[in-house]
Amino acid sequence: MFSRLSNSAARSATLQSRNYATLRDIETRLKSIKNIEKITNTMKIVASTRLGKADRAKTTARVYIANDREVYSHAETAPVEAEQKSNLLIVMSSDKGLCGSIHSQIAKAARLRTAELQGQTVDIVAIGDKVKAQLNRTHSSNLVLAFNGIGKETPTFSDAALISDEILKLGKEYTNVEVFYNKFATSVSFEPTKASVYDAKSIEESPALSQYELDQDAKVPETLAEYSLANAIYAGLADGYAAEISARRNAMDNASKNAGDMISKYSILYNRTRQAVITNELVDIITGASSLD
Amino acid sequence: MFRLNTLRTASRQVQTVARRGYADVAASDVLKLSLALPHQTLFESSIVTQVNVPGANGEFGILANHVPIVEQLKPGVVQITESNGNVKEFFVSGGFATVQPGSTLSITAIEAFEPTSFSVESIKTQLAEAQKNVNSSDEAVAAEAAIQVEVLEALQAIAK
Repeated sequence: MFSRLSNSAARSATLQSRNYATLRDIETRLKSIKNIEKITNTMKIVASTRLGKADRAKTTARVYIANDREVYSHAETAPVEAEQKSNLLIVMSSDKGLCGSIHSQIAKAARLRTAELQGQTVDIVAIGDKVKAQLNRTHSSNLVLAFNGIGKETPTFSDAALISDEILKLGKEYTNVEVFYNKFATSVSFEPTKASVYDAKSIEESPALSQYELDQDAKVPETLAEYSLANAIYAGLADGYAAEISARRNAMDNASKNAGDMISKYSILYNRTRQAVITNELVDIITGASSLD
Repeated sequence: MFRLNTLRTASRQVQTVARRGYADVAASDVLKLSLALPHQTLFESSIVTQVNVPGANGEFGILANHVPIVEQLKPGVVQITESNGNVKEFFVSGGFATVQPGSTLSITAIEAFEPTSFSVESIKTQLAEAQKNVNSSDEAVAAEAAIQVEVLEALQAIAK
C-alpha cells in the first residue's frame, strides 16, 4: 500500500505541469480513501456487534475464576521455593491485527517478565499468531508451543481445555506458571495482566491448607491443579477477547474518522484543482480568441 | 422486595443474637452459595439453606458453618434449598465444590442444566454409542467413552 502511495506521489511530481493528470490522481486517491473508510466502518460495526457477547462472556468468566481462586487465597498458596526454578509463561492474544497495541503490549509484558527471570529456565507458550510472531523475533529459543485459530469467536471452555491438555502433554514440571492476558479495564483501555497458576505441589504445601478437609489419596491437588490451569486459560481468553474486540472497535472508529477528515480535505483540493483547470482553459481560449482580433 | 428486606433484617437479628450467645463463633449463620459456570453464573453469593452436592466420595449435604472442604464432583445433581424453601436442581457433569472458612460455598462446574431439560431418547442413543467405544483398542477413545458412559448413566438415572 505504501509503495503505491509513493508511486502516485512520484507520478504527480513529474506530471505537475499537466493539470489533467493531477486532477485524475486526486480523484483516484479520493476514491481509494472512500473505499478504505467503508471497510474500516464495516469492521467497526462488526466489532460493535460482537462486543456485547464478548462483554457478557468476560463478566461470567470473571465470576467463575473468582470462585475458582477463592480456595487459593484462603489457603495462602504460593509457588514452591525450589533450587532449580523453571517458569512457564502462557501469553495470550490472537491471530488478527488492526486492533491497536493489544498484541505488542502483551508481548512487551512477557518480554519484561522474561528479563526479570534471567538466570532461570523460562518457557513460553504463545496463543495467537500475532503474539507468536512478536515473541519469535526476540525469544525464539524460549518458545515451546504455539496455538492459532483463537479469537475468531467468543472463547469456550473446550478451547481452554484443549490448550491446557496440550500444555500438560509437554510433560515438563514447572515451579511457576503464569498466564499473561489483556485485562479489559474500560471500553477505551486495557491492561496487560498476569495471573499465577499453582501446581499440585504448591497446593499441597500451602501454609493454610490444613483448615480444609481434602482427600490427598484421591489426588485432589493434582486434579484441582489441572482444572485450575484450564480455568485460568479460559478466564484469560475471555477477558483478552473482550479487550481485543473493544480495542478493535476503537481503532476502527479512529480510522474511519481519519478517513473522513482526509475525504473532506481531498474533496476541497479536488474541487479547487478542477476550478483552476477550468480557469486556465478559459484563459487559454480568451487569449487565443483575442489574439485573432 | 419487601419480603426480601424483612427476611434480611430478620436474619441479621438472628445473627446478632447468636453472636451475643457464642462470642467466639465469628462465622455467620447463613450459607452463601456461588454456582458459576464458564459461560453463565447461576448463583452469586446468594443466601441458601442447604446444598446437596454429588462428591467423588459420595453425596453430601452442606449447611451453614460446614467445615472447610475441597471436594471433586462426579456427574450428578446439585440440589439447592433456597432460603424461601424452594428447591432447585441442576445436573452437573463434574467440577469442584469448595467450602471456604466463613460459610461460603463455591461450586465451579463446566456445564449445569435442570434435570427436566434432558431428552431421554438422546441419552439412550448416546449411551449406546459410548458403550460401543468403551472397548476400543485406541486408549484415548476408550477413556473418552468411559467418561461419557459415566456422565450418561448418571443422567439416565435422573432424567424423566
